[in-house]
Amino acid sequence: MATAASKIPFAGPRDRESFFEAQRRNRRATWRLSVVSVLATVVMGIPLALTITPLLYAAALIIADVVSIWTPLPPSFWQHANDLARYGMAVLDWITQGKAANPQALALGAAALLLPGAILSVGLWLGVNALFRRAGVGGALLALKAREPNPSDLKELQLSDVVQEMAIAAGLPAPRIMLIDAPAANAAAIGTSPNDARIVVSRGLLEQLNRDELEGALAHLVASIGNGDLRIAFRVTSVFETCGLLVAVINAPFGSRSRRTLWRILRYGLFGKKDTEASSQEAAAVAALLTHSAGLETDDIDDVFGANSSKKSILRSIRNFLLFPIFFTNMAIKLSLWFFGFTMLEPSMALLWRKRKYLADASAVQLTRNPDGLAEALRKLNSARGPIPGGSWASHLFLVSPAGSDRMNDPKANAANQQMLAQMWAASASADTAQPSSPAPSPANARLPFITSEIIATSQAAISGDQISIARMNAFRQAAATALGRPVDEMPTLADIAAAQHGDKAAMQRLAQFTKKMNAGGSDDGDAKPAADNSSSNFAGFFPSLKRRLKRLDRMGAHVELESDSGKTWIVVAVLSILLGPFALLAAALLLLLIGIMMLSSLAFLAVWMAFIHQLFVMFLHH
Amino acid sequence: MTMSTSSLIIIGLLAAVLLIWFISIFNSLVALRVRVQNAWSDIDVQLKRRHDLIPNLVGAVQGYMAHERSTLEAVTQARTRAVASTGASVADRAQAESALSGALSNLFAVAENYPQLRAVESIQLLQEQLTSTENRIAFARQFYNDEVMKFNTAQATFPRNLFAGIFGFSPATMFAAEDAERANVKVAI
Repeated sequence: MATAASKIPFAGPRDRESFFEAQRRNRRATWRLSVVSVLATVVMGIPLALTITPLLYAAALIIADVVSIWTPLPPSFWQHANDLARYGMAVLDWITQGKAANPQALALGAAALLLPGAILSVGLWLGVNALFRRAGVGGALLALKAREPNPSDLKELQLSDVVQEMAIAAGLPAPRIMLIDAPAANAAAIGTSPNDARIVVSRGLLEQLNRDELEGALAHLVASIGNGDLRIAFRVTSVFETCGLLVAVINAPFGSRSRRTLWRILRYGLFGKKDTEASSQEAAAVAALLTHSAGLETDDIDDVFGANSSKKSILRSIRNFLLFPIFFTNMAIKLSLWFFGFTMLEPSMALLWRKRKYLADASAVQLTRNPDGLAEALRKLNSARGPIPGGSWASHLFLVSPAGSDRMNDPKANAANQQMLAQMWAASASADTAQPSSPAPSPANARLPFITSEIIATSQAAISGDQISIARMNAFRQAAATALGRPVDEMPTLADIAAAQHGDKAAMQRLAQFTKKMNAGGSDDGDAKPAADNSSSNFAGFFPSLKRRLKRLDRMGAHVELESDSGKTWIVVAVLSILLGPFALLAAALLLLLIGIMMLSSLAFLAVWMAFIHQLFVMFLHH
Repeated sequence: MTMSTSSLIIIGLLAAVLLIWFISIFNSLVALRVRVQNAWSDIDVQLKRRHDLIPNLVGAVQGYMAHERSTLEAVTQARTRAVASTGASVADRAQAESALSGALSNLFAVAENYPQLRAVESIQLLQEQLTSTENRIAFARQFYNDEVMKFNTAQATFPRNLFAGIFGFSPATMFAAEDAERANVKVAI
């Protein structure tokens, strides 16, 4: 921690890289990475298009057949359909059997196989963009109970002032502030553009940071707004949302879940008044639904084909048989989405987002001309951070990652936990009038062994029935609940502790969960639905590690103590990648092969299916 | 003149490209200059805000700092002079404003001797507002200087430097810290 002692007054220039250079470097990097991301999206789109096109053709064919019951379509229509099929078959023969064909036919065949699916995907993407553009990103955070800062509270007045100052320094209109009374320290920027951006700040952040650090943190957020990060975040999420929409469209004929999702989107698009906060929340909820359906969870189709259906009738089997190709196609789409997304799209987008975070850091230094403030703020937030409850969907917008996965082993965090334990114990003592209140707590780590043994002794006495100890343990439980911000019923009871001592597995599990939550600083993962987990665990890679951010800030002149990088980590990483590399490549190749096979089989199934249905129409209706 | 139509077309295209190029250079320089002017007026806004806050502060601390009348009067007079110089030249304004900054920092230095002031919440809030105003002035100046730097760089680099003079653009001046500000910190005993 940069105390007054370590802020050595340095006479000469200390920065080895000016923030302007850092910004230039990061901007160039984001250009490169944007290109890479676009390429990754295109590559991911190819198998998608290949899988979707046959479905579109099948649907078109069925529609044509139905239409020609009333008005027979001209024979040239069928002639063109045949030609298309021939071109497509030429390409497939060329791929699978190496049969030569003239380039023109190949090109037409490739177009016939790719274009319809590609057009649908791009169309859906444009639709998603247009639909959600007004709402921007982070709408889920609007659902939280937020308030304006209160100008008669000194810290909140400082908050408003600092935001105004940073906006002046950046030449931007000052974003509105949303203050949330949560103990977890974090902040985020949400919105669509610098003109309607908002900054969400938790009260915990105000408590933890002094004015300089607050300035650094808010400079980062204001700078990222000014750099257009909101628009980039929107584009990143819109790609994932489009995949989800695609899956929802395909599933729509089968299940009510997809139909409900589509209906919600339609209702929001047509009837939602875009400028209200409620509609932004609705947009965020819909977006979360879409990203959920792009994940690997089961869809309506799987339910329809589910083996756990109770009514097994002939009719059902026939229907399953008829609709099997679509089920297969759906599986192929999900698998290829997962594979390409995981290997190409997410890493490149995560890399892109990390570079934007570095850029925002460098811009923050430009605004404040004080790299120490931001460095110290990042350090403090890394220990004290947490999710703002309910905001897990927008986790990539936060200042530091709210997920607990990439935290450094920070001695200050452990000390904070111990301090909390000591305070809880002292609070329970003072609540219990039968015992004298404990003396003022000396440094927690000195008293901790004493406190722990005292707690254990009291709990033993309580289990064996001592009334005073029972009262003390109950008070302790109450104090713990208040300190962690959880309802009292979630705390383990004496019965649990007693049962765990006797080997009761369920009780031990509850205790283990409680300890885990305590160690995580009381972070609330109970409200992270699987949907949000799918995205927030991915988005955890979207944050650069604290070490790297501090290193860059150090190059811009911050006075931070960096942990020396022992070369051992690199050796371990190198050895692991050499050992596991071939296996990973093999697995990737096999997966690709599997996807290819699935696509070809789904094509074959669909072709047979189409021919079958077309024949049915021809036989029964066109005689 | 016997020029073939193709060379006429080529010359016409070249002329069109050059015209578009000139227009884009002109527009970019104009845009940068407008940003510089806007940044300048932002400083104005913050200076006025400071003028408005000072009477509140003086009124609030008067009761507690009864013996520091000279310091308080210095602040009030400096403020009057600064307000009066609003229409004057840039140099005069800068001097009056920096004199006001000096008087204010004197006041804050003297207020350190009155610890009971720290307990009065309203004075804390006022002091925060004044600190923030000083910061805003500083940041507005910083933003202005950054914009001036961008403008001057754009002017001076190729290819715009070839035409900047023709279009009538000249480098803007930065808002440097006045020497008066640096010299004015007297501590009244």
